[in-house]
Amino acid sequence: MAVADFVKSAGESFRVGWKIESNWTDPVLFATYQVIRPLASLLIVAFIVIIGASVGAAANSAFYTQYLAWLIVGNAFYAFVLQIMLGMAILVHVDRTRYEVLKNIYISPGTLHPYVIGRGLVSVVNGGVSVVLTLLFSVAIFNGLLHMNIPLNLLGVNLLMLFPAVILGIISLLAIGYMLCAVNIVSNRMEFILGDSVSGIFFLLGGVIFPVALLPSYVQPISNVLPITFLLNAVRESFGLLPAGNYMSDLAYLGLTTLVTLIIGITVFRLAEQRAKKLGLFDRKSEY
Amino acid sequence: MLPKATPREELLINLRAAYARMWVRLRGSNREITGLVAEIGLPILTIGAYVILYRAIGLPPTAGAAVIIGGAMIAFWTNVLWNMSSQWFWERESGNLEMYLVAPVSRMSVLLGMAMGGSVNTSIRALGIVLLGIFVFQVPFQLADPLSIGLVFVLTLVALYTMGMLFASIFMLYGREAWNTANLLQEPVYFLSGAYFPRIYAPVVPFALQAAGSLIPMTIGLDAIRRLAINGESIATIWPHIIALIACTLILFPLARRALNYMESLGKKEGRLTLRWQ
Repeated sequence: MAVADFVKSAGESFRVGWKIESNWTDPVLFATYQVIRPLASLLIVAFIVIIGASVGAAANSAFYTQYLAWLIVGNAFYAFVLQIMLGMAILVHVDRTRYEVLKNIYISPGTLHPYVIGRGLVSVVNGGVSVVLTLLFSVAIFNGLLHMNIPLNLLGVNLLMLFPAVILGIISLLAIGYMLCAVNIVSNRMEFILGDSVSGIFFLLGGVIFPVALLPSYVQPISNVLPITFLLNAVRESFGLLPAGNYMSDLAYLGLTTLVTLIIGITVFRLAEQRAKKLGLFDRKSEY
Repeated sequence: MLPKATPREELLINLRAAYARMWVRLRGSNREITGLVAEIGLPILTIGAYVILYRAIGLPPTAGAAVIIGGAMIAFWTNVLWNMSSQWFWERESGNLEMYLVAPVSRMSVLLGMAMGGSVNTSIRALGIVLLGIFVFQVPFQLADPLSIGLVFVLTLVALYTMGMLFASIFMLYGREAWNTANLLQEPVYFLSGAYFPRIYAPVVPFALQAAGSLIPMTIGLDAIRRLAINGESIATIWPHIIALIACTLILFPLARRALNYMESLGKKEGRLTLRWQ
């Protein structure tokens, strides 16, 4: 029964979140909005590689096309990180300060947990749409328009390898988003920094646009405990862009890091909730 | 009936309003040290990723210098979007917009104050980004003509913040669109301005892309600054950039003024100037 209530509350939260995210404009403009940002990000890195290839910087053309495929997949799936981090980092601030409803949600029977999960799932859907559209546009632009013959076959993706990795990755990102919400519950100065900080760290250390091995050796241990590193490895393996032999170990590490982030996320959230209740932070105003 | 203010009195009161708005911006943005640290440190994460990507594909170290300058200029674009363009939206949400509207000063003087405060604040952050970037990534610069760099930099800021004034007027009646539109104008402008490329005006970049990018003053100023600071070129090679930046300012300023008057009048007719939580 409790589970059914939780799911129902999360579903309602998802519905509210979806309306807030999408009904500010018409569906066509909303869809355009969803694709333009990740596509522009992709085009930035793609053009860097194209400029590198044009000056013959490092190697033959096969190197660049393979690198571009590797980069497109990493950049496309990074949309999950961006959407979830930015969406969940601002959630508490918007509901507490702007709409002034956080206290009402907190005292409702559903409590905050399913609400946060439901709102996080909206970011997951937005991220999923961005991933699919970015991959489709990439193939259309680089192979269709520019005839670059990038080795990226969207029909040849091993879905049995892809889905478990993506599901675990999303759970870990939601757990990290949970932590961001927790920090914002007890703080009113971090809401505009947290999402960008965490997604920036993941962009640099997670192997999004270059292999982790290129990072300075003293930073690599940090990369090797981030779920995003193993998520992107496993995803690239399912696209056939990395040797599939490492898939099971990457999935295992992803599962382990997901479990750890989940435990930390829930613990941090509960601690923040207790502190906020003690100090009366659920209805604190920070804008005048 | 109150006596009509002389032009001198009117000018003085508007300058005082601009100064007051600038003061609030300077004070508000610098009293929180975590914000200052984050605004310098965060761009370094992205810049670092691109510098390592450049190294991965074998581009020369000057490409790293280009991306550091690009990253610093992005700080200005972000400031223009979130602290100029969206500002009337924030003010309306917090209930301050009506106070601005009933104040006996031109709305343009308020925007001017925002622009001056924002540009000073962001210059501090941009300097931090460049210095930290040079320290961390050890990239080469050739500062043969610092005065010209300063001139182009100031012209770029003036053009950019004039564009911000225009956007502020257009965004005036936005509800949640303000937030989403500002978001939408981030990565596409980073792409079009070539902020993270070694050079936007390169043969491999399609002409249509260069033309679209040239509509943004940052693209023009960024290219000129890179030529001066990285390639060691002289001011004689970038005079078209200077003319283009001055032209941008001369075109955008009257447009901003007209847009502001139009949007204010529209807002009054539709009763949307005090509408919150749209």
